[in-house]
This record gives sequence, C-alpha cells and structure tokens, in this order.
Amino acid sequence: MGPQHPMTHGLWNLRIKVDGETIVDAEPEMGYLHRGIEKLCENRTYTQIIPLADRLCYGSSLTWSHLYCLTVEDLMGLEVPERAEYIRVAAIEMQRIASHLMWLAAYAADLGTLAGFIYTMRDREVFIDLLQALSGSRLTYNFPRIGGVAHDVPPNFERDSLRACTYMEKKLDEYDQLFEGSKVFMMRNEGVGILKKELAMNLGVTGPPLRASGVNYDLRKDQPYSVYPELDFQAISMPDADCYARYKVRMDEMRESCKIIRQAVQKMPKGKWRIVAPRNGPVGTGIGRVEDPRGEGMMYVVGNGTPKPYRLKIRSPIFVTVSAAKQMLVGYKVADVVAIMGGLDMCIGEADR
Amino acid sequence: MMEQRGSGTPAGAIEKAPSKVGEMSEERVIRALLDAFPTAVTDYKKLKAGVLRARIERRELYRCCQFLRERLGFEHVSMISAVEYDDRFEIVYHITCYGSCLLLELITQTPKDDPSVDSVSSVWGGANWQERESFDLMGIKFNNHPKLERILLPSDYLYHPLRKDFKG
Repeated sequence: MGPQHPMTHGLWNLRIKVDGETIVDAEPEMGYLHRGIEKLCENRTYTQIIPLADRLCYGSSLTWSHLYCLTVEDLMGLEVPERAEYIRVAAIEMQRIASHLMWLAAYAADLGTLAGFIYTMRDREVFIDLLQALSGSRLTYNFPRIGGVAHDVPPNFERDSLRACTYMEKKLDEYDQLFEGSKVFMMRNEGVGILKKELAMNLGVTGPPLRASGVNYDLRKDQPYSVYPELDFQAISMPDADCYARYKVRMDEMRESCKIIRQAVQKMPKGKWRIVAPRNGPVGTGIGRVEDPRGEGMMYVVGNGTPKPYRLKIRSPIFVTVSAAKQMLVGYKVADVVAIMGGLDMCIGEADR
Repeated sequence: MMEQRGSGTPAGAIEKAPSKVGEMSEERVIRALLDAFPTAVTDYKKLKAGVLRARIERRELYRCCQFLRERLGFEHVSMISAVEYDDRFEIVYHITCYGSCLLLELITQTPKDDPSVDSVSSVWGGANWQERESFDLMGIKFNNHPKLERILLPSDYLYHPLRKDFKG
C-alpha cells in the first residue's frame, strides 16, 4: 500500500504479505521525503535553523522549532524569561490541539465518518487563527527564538484563547457523540491493532500510542521542561492498547490542553519575552526533549565555538513508532491496516527529515 | 504514592513505578555501572537533575546495554546519534528509564578506519531503525544487526552524506 494510497497521508510505502485476508508480514518503507535536514543545519547559523526546524512537521511545526530553541538554550546555558515560557506553553498546546484535530480529521475520513472530517477541520481553524494572531502565519510559524519568543502576545489574546477553549470543550463532547455513536467507527477501532505494554516499551513507541498501551509516561509530567510543573493537568493513559484507546487518549489530551492554555494565559506574568542570545555556540553538547503531539521529540546538538552547529541530530517519534508496525499488523485483516496505521498519526515530514 | 491519573480508567489498571527519582538516583546508577564495569566506564558525570553521562569502551557496549536494561530498568532507547570528529566517530545512546525518569547519555567511540560497534537492537527493538539510519547517513557498521540496509536513501546510493568529507 502506498506511496500513493489515500490512507498513507504522506509519502511512504507499506509492504504487506497476506495469507488470504490475514496479514502475515509487514514492512514500512520510508525515505520518500528525505531532505537531509541534519546536513542542511550544519551549513546554517543557529538562528537560521529555526524556520528550517518548522519544516520538520507540517502538522505541528511549532513544537519542533520550540524543541530546537530548547536544545540550543541548553547548549548555550540560557535562562528564558518567565513570560516567554508561558507564551511558549500556550502556543504549543494550541499547536497540539490543532495537530490532534488534523489527525482526527484524517482518521475520521479514513474510517468512513466523513462528517467528522468537516467538523474537525472547521474547529481546527479556531486555533490556527489564534496562532496566526500570535505569530503571523498559519502553518509554519517561525515564532520561538533562542532565548524567548519573537514578540509579545497580541491584544485580547487572553480573551480569545479562553473563548476558543470553551468552544473546543463543547465541541469535544460533540465529537464523542459523533464518533462513539457511529457503529462503523467503533467496529473498526475496538480490539484492533493491540500492542502489548512490554512490546510497546521495547520497540521504542512513544507518545499517545505508548500511553494507550498502559504506560503512563508523559515528558511534560515526568521530565518537566518549561513551566509545566506549575500548571495543573493530567497525563492521560489507557490500559486497552487498541486503536480505540489511542483515539481516546488523544481526545482526552485535547481536553487537558484546553486546561493548560487556560491556566497559561491567565498566569502569564508581565515582563520581558526575549533575551539576547550569543551568536556563537560554545564548545560542548546540548540535548532537548519535549512531548511532541506524536511522541518523544528529541534533539542533540554539538557546538564547536562557531556560529554554526557542528552536528544536529533529530529524533523523530514517528520514525521509531512506525518501525513497530509489523508487531501491530500481523494477525489482523487487510481492512484493519487503515485503522492501525492511521491511529499512529503519521507525519512523514519529521520521519524522513 | 502514585496519584490516580487518566480519565475513565479503572483504578489500579495502570501500574507504574512512582515517578520519583529517589527510587534510583543518578549516583546509584553510576555506582552500579562502575561495580559491573570497573575499567570500561569512564568520564561519568551528572549533567543536571535526571540526566547523566558516561563513556563506555566499545567492546563492552553490548554487555553494558544488557545490564542497563535487565538490572537497572532502562527500558527505552530514545535516540542513537553518530557524530564524526576529526580523529574518531562517537556514537551517543540516550537511554531512558520509565520508572525513575532518568536519562542516560552513553557515549562510545570508534576509530576512523573501523567505524563499527555491536548492535543493541536485540536488547531494545526500538534501536533497530535508528541503527539503520546511522548506517545509512554516517556509515557506522553495527555488528549482528538483523537487517543492516539503507533506510532513508535509495539502496544503490554510494555515499554516507552526514560525513564531513561528503560534498553534495
């Protein structure tokens, strides 16, 4: 299946071996969108890489430029002003909702609930508009900076964010009725694509698929960065380990994200939102880890005292998660492939880099 | 104690070691590593809370990783990165422990003329594709890897583009 199959949502290929209708072997093939971003970064200055990091994932570009800035701040040993941290947290949670809604739209369309596609894409606009007011663009924001964010929040941002959260929470209840009331959607989800807890941990699966397998590990809680320790929210996990659990984890995460946005915009202190970062990175290494909407995003940077990084390694959550595809697919029917692979929220931009 | 997290899940369905670092602190991990591999582990250091770094000799890497997973509970290899320096290759393993939320940065180095280490993909399945990626882009050979083939670039490609002597 692929690279042109409509369920792939990006360019990748899945080779499956079948015995009748049952899958006996599967292997994903990646690399169609490889742009060599790690190599490109070695020829750019530290600030020039921020827009490049945005291009890693079209679904949640802000988390990637945020992660990049976090990594370089770790390398340079910078303290970011508190206001900037709150602006970042509010923005990346909006991005998380927008990303999950885009996943839900694609997933709903795949599983034959086309109304779900229209609804979720409509409501995603609410958060895209907020991010546009904040940063000026709709998909690739170029908003975080090394040492803060590009600019302060626009007027009425708090009011608009609170309104958007209230709207979203109402809509999420509506989605629950829409999807869980749909027999087709539930039949294609429940008990499909089971990935046992031990296997999920060993195969390096992270993010919502891991939490849906019963491992309650969320980097925002368990290795907190930014101002997450000061905010009150829950890490969501489910024990069922099937596609329905992955759907449910993401839905509940959106509710938690609304809670975080609400607290972040209200608690935001006054003050500076950016400090000046040095042009040259020191000799040494830095790491950054964030909870991307798709899993554990991580970067490792090696500096050598010049304005350009010596090496930047990017860990893509989906690249590792999709390597577990075989274990999820074997034993199920061909028709389940769409639900199982769709439930992982594939983003080829970051997987192929 | 573990607080009840998550919604709609029956109590006790999700067990998880309490995420307090006190269970197994950075110092205890380093001491356990030093006891098991007194000569191979060098240059150990606590970088910040929850993150530590150690260097390991190449020949002990596989046994060390097995020890980390089976004895110390490091269940997840987050990232494998290969870095080329003027005189050596460094392969950096970032290994996570879900129970105590520690991150271990394990560095091993290989000479320029023999860039090969033992594969750890039989210890952590998640290492499989990451090792293939390092092989593809940096040309590191992983011994005993189940399928060491190119993954991002076409299979007939001749170069390893992340090396510093590669000119595009």
